[in-house]
Amino acid sequence: MNKIVALMKKDIKLLFRDKMAVFFTFVFPLVFAFIFGSIFSGDGGGSKALKVAVVDLDQTEQSQQFVKSIEEADEFTVTLTSEEKAKDLVRRGKRVAYFILPEGFGEDYKGVFSGSPPEILVGIDPSRTAEAGYLEGSLMKLGINRFEQAFSNPAAMTEQLDASIAQIEESDDIPQEWKSLLNDYLPKMKELTELDMGSEEGFGFGDDGEANPMMPLKVTKQEEVVQRSGPKNAFSITIPQGVIWAIMGCVIGFAISLVQEKTLGTMNRLIVAPISRTQIVAGKALGCFTAQIAVVALLFLVAYFILGVRFNFPKLVLAAVASGVCFVGLMMFFASLAKTERSVAGITNAFLLMMGMVGGAMIPLFVMPGWMQAISNFSPVKWAIVAFEGAIWRNFSYTEMMTPVLILVSIGVVAFILGTRMVKLEEA
Amino acid sequence: MIQVESLNKRFGNIHAVRDVSLKIHPGQIFGLLGPNGAGKSTSISMMTGLIDADSGSVSLSGLKPQSKEARHKIGLIPQSIALYEELTATDNLSFFASLYDIPKNQLQSRMDWALDFVGLKDRATDRVSGFSGGMKRRLNLAASLLHDPDFIFMDEPTAGVDPQSRNKLFDNVLELKELGKTIIYTTHYMEEAQKLCDQVGIIDHGELLALGTVGELLKQHGGDTQVSISSDRGVKEFKSSDVSNDLIQALQTSDKVYDISVNSPDLEAVFLNLTGRQLRD
Ligand SMILES: Nc1ncnc2c1ncn2[C@@H]1O[C@H](COP(=O)(O)OP(=O)(O)OP(=O)(O)O)[C@@H](O)[C@H]1O
Ligand SMILES: [Mg+2]
Repeated sequence: MNKIVALMKKDIKLLFRDKMAVFFTFVFPLVFAFIFGSIFSGDGGGSKALKVAVVDLDQTEQSQQFVKSIEEADEFTVTLTSEEKAKDLVRRGKRVAYFILPEGFGEDYKGVFSGSPPEILVGIDPSRTAEAGYLEGSLMKLGINRFEQAFSNPAAMTEQLDASIAQIEESDDIPQEWKSLLNDYLPKMKELTELDMGSEEGFGFGDDGEANPMMPLKVTKQEEVVQRSGPKNAFSITIPQGVIWAIMGCVIGFAISLVQEKTLGTMNRLIVAPISRTQIVAGKALGCFTAQIAVVALLFLVAYFILGVRFNFPKLVLAAVASGVCFVGLMMFFASLAKTERSVAGITNAFLLMMGMVGGAMIPLFVMPGWMQAISNFSPVKWAIVAFEGAIWRNFSYTEMMTPVLILVSIGVVAFILGTRMVKLEEA
Repeated sequence: MIQVESLNKRFGNIHAVRDVSLKIHPGQIFGLLGPNGAGKSTSISMMTGLIDADSGSVSLSGLKPQSKEARHKIGLIPQSIALYEELTATDNLSFFASLYDIPKNQLQSRMDWALDFVGLKDRATDRVSGFSGGMKRRLNLAASLLHDPDFIFMDEPTAGVDPQSRNKLFDNVLELKELGKTIIYTTHYMEEAQKLCDQVGIIDHGELLALGTVGELLKQHGGDTQVSISSDRGVKEFKSSDVSNDLIQALQTSDKVYDISVNSPDLEAVFLNLTGRQLRD
C-alpha cells in the first residue's frame, strides 16, 4: 500500500509540475464555471429586483394602472404575459413568482368602502420562501395606492360613494339599523369629498376580516408545484460542467502519463522493482482518482463560498466517488489503446469532447432538445453531471441518486477491466 | 553468478535473440558488444524479467528474475533516460527508492551516497529537465543503485554523453566492480568493452557469435597483426601471427630502417572477421 501511495504521490507531484495540466484541470474549469455562470445568471442573480410574470385578465383601466404600478416599482422586474406562460415561467424557475389580476379586479379596486378588496392571485416558487414575504409586502404597498387614488380623485370617489349607497339599498343581508346609519352617513361623506378632502386621513374602521374592503389587496396564494427542470443559481449548472472539464483534464493527463512512463522508460524501472503490476496500475488509478476528488473539492469549495451554490454534502461525495470510478476506468481504457503520448491525447480528447458535448458539459442538459437528451444517455459525462446536479439542485433522493451512480460505476468497472487487460506495461 | 541458457525471443518475424547462453561470474564485468538492433536490450530485458523469453532460462544466483527476491538484487539502468524530467534529482531518487524496502533510517544516506557517487551532489535540488545529457545519464545510473543491487545491468550507459561524463561513468563502473557487483554492460563501442570488461560477448542479429576475455577474442578471431616496415628498400607490409620472429627476419634483410609499425587486432577486427561487417556503419 505504501508503494501505491508513493506512486500516486509522484503522479500528483508531476501533475502540479505541468503548468498546462494544472491550467486545464484546475484553472480552466473554474474560469468556465465562473464566466458561463455569470453570463447565465442574468435572471435572479445580483440585482435586488424580483423577476415576476404579471397576467392581466381584467384588462380594465384599474388593472392596467395597477400593472403599471408594479412595473414602476423598484422591487419588481415585470414580464407581462399570458396565464399559461406565467405559470410555466415560475415552474421552470425562470421567474420567482407570477401575479394574476383576475376578472373583476378593477371593479373591486374601485370599491374602497364596499365589496371585497381586489383579489390578486400569486404563485411563488416554493423554494424562494425567503423572497415570499418581501414580495407580498411590496405588493401590499402597491395596493395601498388605491386608497390614495380614491381620495385624491374626488370625482371617482363620489361615483364610488353613489355606487355604494345603491349597493346598500339593494342588499338584503345588511341589518336595517346599519342601512339607515350608512344611508345617513355616506351622503355626508359624499359632501365631504366634494369639498376636496385630503387623502391622508385615516379611517377607523376596517380592522380585520378577509372581506374587509379596507384591506389594500386580497392576496390569494396559489400552490405552485414547481417541476424544476432548471436551478435558480446559474452556477449550479456551470459548476458541474466545470467539474466535468476538470475531470477530463485529469483523465487526459493521467492517460498521457501512463503512456509516457512507457515511452520514457520509467515504466521499466517500475516493472523491475519489487512491486506487482497490479500495484503499478493501482498507483495510477489512485493518482487519477485523487486528482479528480481534489478538483471536485476545489470547485465545490469555490462554488459554496464564492458563488453561493448550495448542495447536499453526502450526495456530493457519492457523485464524486462514482464519477471518479467511472473516469479512472476510462483513463485506463484510453491509456491501453495508444502507444504514444500524441495518440493517447488525441483519442482521449476526441472521445471526451464528444461525450462532453452530447453529455451536457457545454449545453446544459435541461435545455437540450428531447432527441439530444436521448443521445446523451450514452455519454458517461451526462451521468456524471446528473449525479452532481442531483446533489445540488435536482434534489435527488438517495434512490434517485442510484441511477447515475450505478451507471457511472458500471462504466468505470468495465472500462477499467478492459483497460488493465489490454494495457501493455512493458516497452511501447 | 548469472546463468543464461538458450534464450530466445521473437517479435513477429524478427528473431531478436536466438539461443543465447552465458555464464557471468560474480564480481565480473561482462560486456555485450554488438551493433544497433543486435538484440542487446532484448537480452537484458529477459535477464531482468522485464519481458518473458519465448524459451530458455535465466538464473540470478539461482533466482528467477521475476521473483521478488531477485528484484531486490537487480539494478537496471535502462537505455533511455528513465527519469521524471519535471521532478528534481532528489525527488526522482526518493521516488524510486520508495519502490524498494529500504529501511527509513537508511534512505537519506543511500540517496546521498548515490548522488555523490555520480557526482551530482550539488545538483540535488535541481529539476532533471535542466540537466545536461551527461548529467541525466549519471542520474539514470544513480537511480538504479539506491537499493544496493548485486546484479547491475547497464544498457548503453554512455549513449550521447560528453567525454567528461563518459570518463566519470567508466570510473563508476570500475568502482562498482570493486564493490563486488556483477555487471552486465552493453555497448556498441568496442573501446568501452575493451577497456572495462572482463568478459565480452559479441552479438549480432540476435546471435552470440563469440564469448571470452578480450585477449581470447583477439587471439581467436582478431586475425594476424599488421606489420609495416619502411626502409631504404621501400615499404614492406605483411600480416603476422608471430610478430617478434617475423620482425627479426624482416629487419635482417633491410639496411636502413626508417619506421616500423605494428598494428595488433582490436575488437573491431574481431567483429569484422566474425560478420564480414564493420561494428559501426
Ligand atoms: N518491442 C518490440 N517489438 C518489435 N520488435 C522489437 C521490439 N524490441 C526489439 N525489437 C526488435 O528486436 C531487435 C533487437 O532489438 P534490441 O533493442 O534488443 O537491439 P539492441 O541491440 O539493443 O540495439 P540498440 O543498440 O539500437 O539499442 C531489433 O530488430 C528490434 O527492431
Ligand atoms: Mg538497445
